[in-house]
Amino acid sequence: MHALMALTRANIKSYMRDRAAVFWTLAFPLVFIVMFGLIFSGGSSNLTLAWVDQDGSTESVQLREAFAAQPGVTLEDMTKDDAISAMEVGKVDSVIVVPEGYGAAVAANSEGTPGTPAQVQVYTDPSRPSVTAEVFQVAGSVFGVVNLAGRPPIVIPVVETVQTQNLNAISYFVPSMLGLSVMQVGIFAAIPLVADREKLILKRLAATPLRRWQLVGSNVLMRLLIAMTQAVIIIVVGTVAFGVEIVGSLLLTAGFVALGAVAFLSLGYVIASFARTEDAANGMTSMIQFPMMFLSGAFFQIDQMPPFLQAIARLIPLTYLADALRQVMVGGAAFAPLWVCAAVLLAWLAVCFGIASQKFRWQ
Amino acid sequence: MGPVTMSVMQATTGVAADAVIQVAGLTKRYGDLVAVDGIDFEVARGEVFGLLGPNGAGKTTTVEILEGLRVQDGGTARVLGLDVATDAEALKPRIGVSLQTAALYPKLTVTEVIDLFRSFYADPRPTNELIDALELGERRDARTADLSGGQRQRLAVALALVNHPELVFLDEPTTGLDPAARRSLWDLVLSLKRDGRTVLLTTHYMEEAEVLCDRLAIMDHGRILEMGTVDELVSKRFQERAVRFDHDDALDDAVLAGLPAVSSVKHDDDAVLLYTQDVAATIGALLTAAESRGIEPQNLGVRRATLEDVFLDLTGRALRD
Repeated sequence: MHALMALTRANIKSYMRDRAAVFWTLAFPLVFIVMFGLIFSGGSSNLTLAWVDQDGSTESVQLREAFAAQPGVTLEDMTKDDAISAMEVGKVDSVIVVPEGYGAAVAANSEGTPGTPAQVQVYTDPSRPSVTAEVFQVAGSVFGVVNLAGRPPIVIPVVETVQTQNLNAISYFVPSMLGLSVMQVGIFAAIPLVADREKLILKRLAATPLRRWQLVGSNVLMRLLIAMTQAVIIIVVGTVAFGVEIVGSLLLTAGFVALGAVAFLSLGYVIASFARTEDAANGMTSMIQFPMMFLSGAFFQIDQMPPFLQAIARLIPLTYLADALRQVMVGGAAFAPLWVCAAVLLAWLAVCFGIASQKFRWQ
Repeated sequence: MGPVTMSVMQATTGVAADAVIQVAGLTKRYGDLVAVDGIDFEVARGEVFGLLGPNGAGKTTTVEILEGLRVQDGGTARVLGLDVATDAEALKPRIGVSLQTAALYPKLTVTEVIDLFRSFYADPRPTNELIDALELGERRDARTADLSGGQRQRLAVALALVNHPELVFLDEPTTGLDPAARRSLWDLVLSLKRDGRTVLLTTHYMEEAEVLCDRLAIMDHGRILEMGTVDELVSKRFQERAVRFDHDDALDDAVLAGLPAVSSVKHDDDAVLLYTQDVAATIGALLTAAESRGIEPQNLGVRRATLEDVFLDLTGRALRD
């Protein structure tokens, strides 16, 4: 046990003193998050509202015009059912329903016979506080004009909630980047492994009582530790700097980070099984990481890719890790159920482990 | 039980009571290449034993089999009474190993690397003791990548001594070192011998073998050509002395071989070596022969035969870096 811990500590020291490794695994995903965060959080106040007019009166048309006149607001007319499902999948930000009888209620109120105020339903998603605030701001200024000051209100908004699966760009991006950096941590393990073999360090260790399981075990421990550190950094930066709300279980998040790290570490061992030199390991790592990065849905949503790329995306492990992290952390729309994500990662782990245990050379 | 009883019997009664290494018929092939071709030797406790030979002679392969890093294709090797092919894990805590290239974590410091290796063993020597013994005190906080060649080798030897090993393997410990660093490493090997440790070292430096080794085996092409103490190896072959001078085309081998008392003529690069029982007669005749051709032998000298001569005689070529 002492040897395992000492070797893990030595590996972590070596890693922390390797600036390139630290950059790729820790800084690089963070740079991406900050960059995209600044692009996407740049005060875009464009709201797309689904407009459901169940009244069809002059008054409801006037109300529609008042909303349409608000800066940055786009209205789309729909039936209520279509509107709610459009909001659930993120095609619209909010739904405004003008119920039957609105026109009559407004007319009665403005004739000085105050009865029940007319009700307009406003659907928002509380897990998206900034969008909700914008919707209330727009609704507030419209209704403020309709309801004259000092008089009983003619129209009152009734707030309804809808759980949407849509994410704003940064919420989509933060878990994706966590997945990406977990991948880097795993497959980049190939480079120091090959370097240690080239420098005969693995051979020298083989001449000591140290066992191979301790060697592999220390590598797993170290990579898990780095992956968890990344997860903490990325989640803190995402929530503090960019207001991403983590809605799901942190424990489950940690579980997927760990599973992903081990699966990609086994892929790293496969790379190290075939790369003879450190340079070759570098090249192979890049060759695997870049396509994986772009095809995994971390940057582009998979359903927007051409079909043949979608087919590739369906095979690569990062797709499932990033998807699982989005589902768990920010309640993102599922590309595959969580158990499928876990199963695919386990399958990659098993296959890579099998290949590496056959092909990995210690000397 | 059988084999265990056998080894105890050997260890307590046989001639091989003090044999730390026993190798018989050891063979290792890489594809068509026979790297080690059926060699036999024994190393006694407390001995410094050398494997001397050029690169590719099979020295490193032999040592790595004895360290439990490779498995032989034929023959047996027992180290500290253990069969290396089946008992390598029991052997490893008891031996010290320094590979041909000092294998060190480049980004760790001297102290960190030593502490790491200490963690592998049950009763390691104190870090400071090792650092002092190997004169690495001034460099204790330096990363190993920043060490000089001599310091790297000393650190590699320090790592081989972490576990109080009974037997130390040093594979080409001074290759690539400058003369001062080489001397300091020789002192270190001699101090291991004084401590009563057994040392198996490989080298392709004749001088190193002569200074350090109690006994040595000369290897070439996977075979042991000759084995014994330096004196035995030299006197067995050469009663004579060697007269050497720079080669000159005016004096061909036929003329030289005909000089009085010359038993053989050899070439070592640009030098001509005349092996003779009677130095005075040979040199006198050589000078006369040269003068009659209007030349003078350059860098003329006389020496006793050395390991260099033994190697030249055995293989027909000189051993060079």
